[in-house]
Amino acid sequence: MTATPFVTLLAVLLAAPALPGIATRAKSLLTGRRGAPMLQLYADLAKLARKGAVYSRTTTLVFRVAPVILTAGVLVAAFLLPLDGRTPIFGFTGDLVAFAGLLALGRFALVLAGLDTGSSFEGMGTSREVTVAAFAEPALLLSLTVLVLVTGSLSLGGMLGAPLATAWPAAAPSLVLAGASLFMLLLAENARVPIDDPATHLELTMIHEVIILDHSGPDLALVLYAGAVKFALFGALVVSVLVPRGRFDPWVAGTMLLAGLALIAALVGVIEAVMARLRMDRIPQFLVTAGALAGLAVILLLR
Amino acid sequence: MILVGTGLLLILAGGVCAVMLRRMPSVADRAFAALVTGGGLMAAFPAIATLADGRSRMVRLPPIGPGGAWVFGLDRLSAWFLFTILAAGTMIAVYGTDYLAPERHERPIAAAHGLLAVLLVALCGVVTSQAVVPFLVAWEVMAVSAYLLVVFESERADVRRAGLIYLVLTHVSTIALLAMFAGWGRNAPELTFGALADTRVADAPGRVILALALVGFGIKAGVVPVHFWLPGAHAAAPSHVSALLSGVMLKMGIYGLLRMMSLLGVLPAWWGWTLLGLGLVSGVLGVLWALAQHDLKRLLAYHSVENIGIILLGMGVGALGMTYGQPVVAVLGLTGALLHTLNHALFKSLLFLGAGAVGRATGTRMIDQLGGVGRWMPLTAVTFLVGSVAIVGLPPLNGFVSEWIVLQALLRSGAAAGGIRVAVVTAAGLGLIGGLAVACFTKVNGVVFLGRPRSSGGVPPVECGPASVGPMLALAAACLALGVYPALAVGPAMDVGMSIARGASIADAGLAALGASLPRVALLALTLLGLSALLWLVRGYLLARSGVATSVTWAGAGAPLTARMQYTASSYAAPLLGAFGAVAGVRVRAAAPGFHSEPIDLVLDGTVFPVWRRLARLAHEARLLQAGRLRWYLLYVILTVLALLLYLGHTAAAR
Amino acid sequence: MTRLSDLLLLLVVLADFWVLGTTRLSSTIRAAAFQGALLAALPIALHPGLSIHIIGLGVGTLVVKSIVLPTFLQRAIREASVRREVEPLIGFTASLCLGAVAVALSFAIAQRLPLPESQTALLVPVALATLIVGLIVLTTRSKALTQVVGYLILENGIYVFGLSQAERVPFLVDLGVLLDVFVGVFIMGIVVFHINREFDSLSSAQLTELKD
Repeated sequence: MTATPFVTLLAVLLAAPALPGIATRAKSLLTGRRGAPMLQLYADLAKLARKGAVYSRTTTLVFRVAPVILTAGVLVAAFLLPLDGRTPIFGFTGDLVAFAGLLALGRFALVLAGLDTGSSFEGMGTSREVTVAAFAEPALLLSLTVLVLVTGSLSLGGMLGAPLATAWPAAAPSLVLAGASLFMLLLAENARVPIDDPATHLELTMIHEVIILDHSGPDLALVLYAGAVKFALFGALVVSVLVPRGRFDPWVAGTMLLAGLALIAALVGVIEAVMARLRMDRIPQFLVTAGALAGLAVILLLR
Repeated sequence: MILVGTGLLLILAGGVCAVMLRRMPSVADRAFAALVTGGGLMAAFPAIATLADGRSRMVRLPPIGPGGAWVFGLDRLSAWFLFTILAAGTMIAVYGTDYLAPERHERPIAAAHGLLAVLLVALCGVVTSQAVVPFLVAWEVMAVSAYLLVVFESERADVRRAGLIYLVLTHVSTIALLAMFAGWGRNAPELTFGALADTRVADAPGRVILALALVGFGIKAGVVPVHFWLPGAHAAAPSHVSALLSGVMLKMGIYGLLRMMSLLGVLPAWWGWTLLGLGLVSGVLGVLWALAQHDLKRLLAYHSVENIGIILLGMGVGALGMTYGQPVVAVLGLTGALLHTLNHALFKSLLFLGAGAVGRATGTRMIDQLGGVGRWMPLTAVTFLVGSVAIVGLPPLNGFVSEWIVLQALLRSGAAAGGIRVAVVTAAGLGLIGGLAVACFTKVNGVVFLGRPRSSGGVPPVECGPASVGPMLALAAACLALGVYPALAVGPAMDVGMSIARGASIADAGLAALGASLPRVALLALTLLGLSALLWLVRGYLLARSGVATSVTWAGAGAPLTARMQYTASSYAAPLLGAFGAVAGVRVRAAAPGFHSEPIDLVLDGTVFPVWRRLARLAHEARLLQAGRLRWYLLYVILTVLALLLYLGHTAAAR
Repeated sequence: MTRLSDLLLLLVVLADFWVLGTTRLSSTIRAAAFQGALLAALPIALHPGLSIHIIGLGVGTLVVKSIVLPTFLQRAIREASVRREVEPLIGFTASLCLGAVAVALSFAIAQRLPLPESQTALLVPVALATLIVGLIVLTTRSKALTQVVGYLILENGIYVFGLSQAERVPFLVDLGVLLDVFVGVFIMGIVVFHINREFDSLSSAQLTELKD
């Protein structure tokens, strides 16, 4: 095994906190403001890691363990993606299920932590979070099914690696649809506009932000970092589907990924600048649309 | 087989002990627990041996019983289910001694222990019978003893009603099975399973047999739309009995269907597609309806419907794989279904036992009245959490492994050629099930065990005794073990799957890939645990440097939060249920004191009862015809004769 | 050339989803106009040899389906001051799901239809899907204007179906364009008869009260 999988993984893990910064900067520029520094999240993380934590007397061990589980789940999920366009750190047949499962595990933990505080704010946020997730899950599986049908491979290493590059020209429309669906999921799973607004300051309208109201110190740092890595993972999925990098040199492919991630973050910022949030009861419709796009791609392939 | 027989006799002896020694409660409980565990272990040995070496162990009783051949035996399929029954059953029996003890002076708990032993033996009898008559006898003993256990608290009206619905449906199931075996065994030389094998089922009588099997076994498994006996019965029964019903008895329907598949070989395509469709519907609706429940045990019961759905998805794609000549898909689907059967027996028993412990300690099963229970019952809370993560199908626990294999079967069917490809779209259904299950079990864990108590007053709950906690810990450990070391169960399950889908071999590429990826799954689980531990240490180090403070939960600028301000389970589930509209089966009441939703069963309350009421009304109106006057009756006779004559004339003219 | 037509047909289906998923009437009309433009390009993509007939068909379709009718409809919205479809019979999420099922069904049915092979295998299923989506919009939406759009979509389906049989029945497609006259009549009706003054009166559910 060569070094590229590890190097690209390390690069992605290091670069991940820059992505929300890029999105915010793009949004700020488009709305005529200067905005926070692009590397703000690094500073936040460093500061939070040095701070102490305040725990509510209502909370139990669950609240303290949850950020750890969340971060561990997201990191292990990162091991499954072929970030250099070839090989993941470890892959196996059907690891796409593990990918979805690890992200779901993190959500399970975070939601329980929210409910552990006994606050109605957190209750509201978690309730919305699981609603979004329940509709996002089938769309994610349909998108991954498209990749299975195109490549005939059941592991993310094959679905996003070299077999995808060879199969790409023949199945371009389906893959573009799947990519679009995955991008919509990226917005939903990472609490971006039009599903959620990371910049909102009213608890009643939040989804993700309100769940982590009571987290502080290193716990909050873990949650924020896990969020950034999750953003990067979904971005990597979109990039890998739309730009098959399997036939490039791994080093080139890795660099392409980083550039693609930056582009996607900027695109997310553009969307935040031009779109308003959806009403809460319209969110399922957004995700069903994502599922319908992927479903259409599946139908085209089954024909 | 002698070991199995002795083991089952020991279990029965345990039941007898419980009844005979009821004057000496502690001795009776210990004897019961010891005999059942010992008997279970003894009977499990041959099951493990058969799973390991694959040799069938058959015994034919001398022809004393009625109905021809009485053959018992173990093959791989029987052994798998026997092991499942005993693994969950012994734990449940031990828990039962502690669970029922507080009711010693109110109800005949010795009889309950005895009946539980009978039920266990009957379950073992169902899976070890290799001939029709003993199978049906064991089936009926199982149904009746389960009924008696369901109505254990018979002074409550809702319990009697639930018992009645169960009794009616289980007998519909038995009748369907009687008709099925009667049709099936018509031309067979004797009524053993071996003689029934390889009957042709493509013709019309064959189709009827297959349809009857779906009805008979489907009712027992709790498949939508004939699931509606299940929530009531599970909620009415004592918790450890619910665990046995849900974790084990439902699986007898699954066993029956798998036995048919193993006997008949390749089945027509419609049967496989029906199984797949039923699986999808049961899975999605089961978990959706579970989400709407407020009664902890009803919620778990609906969740069993969901898990049966997942098992059926695996079996359906397995049957289709056999039909369309895709052995790898077939074996993967069946392996996933079998593994999920075992896994569900473990974690659903665990969850019901936990629900029982909570109910005992707090005196209520209504989720919205609970809260913060985990603070007082940490062991129950942790084991319940383990069971929840397992049932949702998240790594690193056993539920993930079986759902992973079922999904692989579905996806692989898409990569195959031919009509089976369409099955791949059900993968999205499995995704929806997973997403809803996360919502459902975060609701249960969050509202019951976390936060603050919602109903004040009363003494704080206390953790239950070691005889209750022990089985729960053992089951949780089993869930973890099968998740971290999946090869332990996947290998034998794959052997069973291959014995059903004849014609596949371990050398097939897809199966070899599954075998090869098992160590990777173990590695994944260990990495996850290791990384979590590492991050935990890092977090501890950081906090040790800077210190930890405690305070109240942040409540904005307003007054501090009270327990009544917490989100309730109704509100928690409302957005998700609202998105599903009428399918979700809730009536919502958003009136003055607070938001409240009320779950209804769309089949039982929404269809069966209204139809029944309408029929009753029709019958009532038809009573007008029975006026009691002779002249009227004469008129009916004349009218009938006239109608018949007209009909005759008509048909004669047509001829 | 078939690849281009496949892409166009795919976009036609996406426009179907767009119509199903949006609440704003003006957005619905934009979707229909977009679909019209796609349909105008379709014959040109399908028949590479540019003949007067095909170019005429394309230009005619473009003018009628994606310029004239949408403009009229937008004007009707202004006249009637209806902005949103507020109370559909079936929710938007549900109708999207229904649309997805419709697409799946059309692909399944199209394989079994005893039709002669056409140039691209996508034509017939897309035609069926568009037809069904048009029917869904027609039957489940309550505003008269949305129903007109539904009719337009349905008719676009017929148009695509006509294209698949263009070799055998050359003027079927041209006849299809003529159907647009009806749409014009609908819009005229809405504008001229001032069903526009009140919000409620554009809801066709009220038509049932005209019994006596």
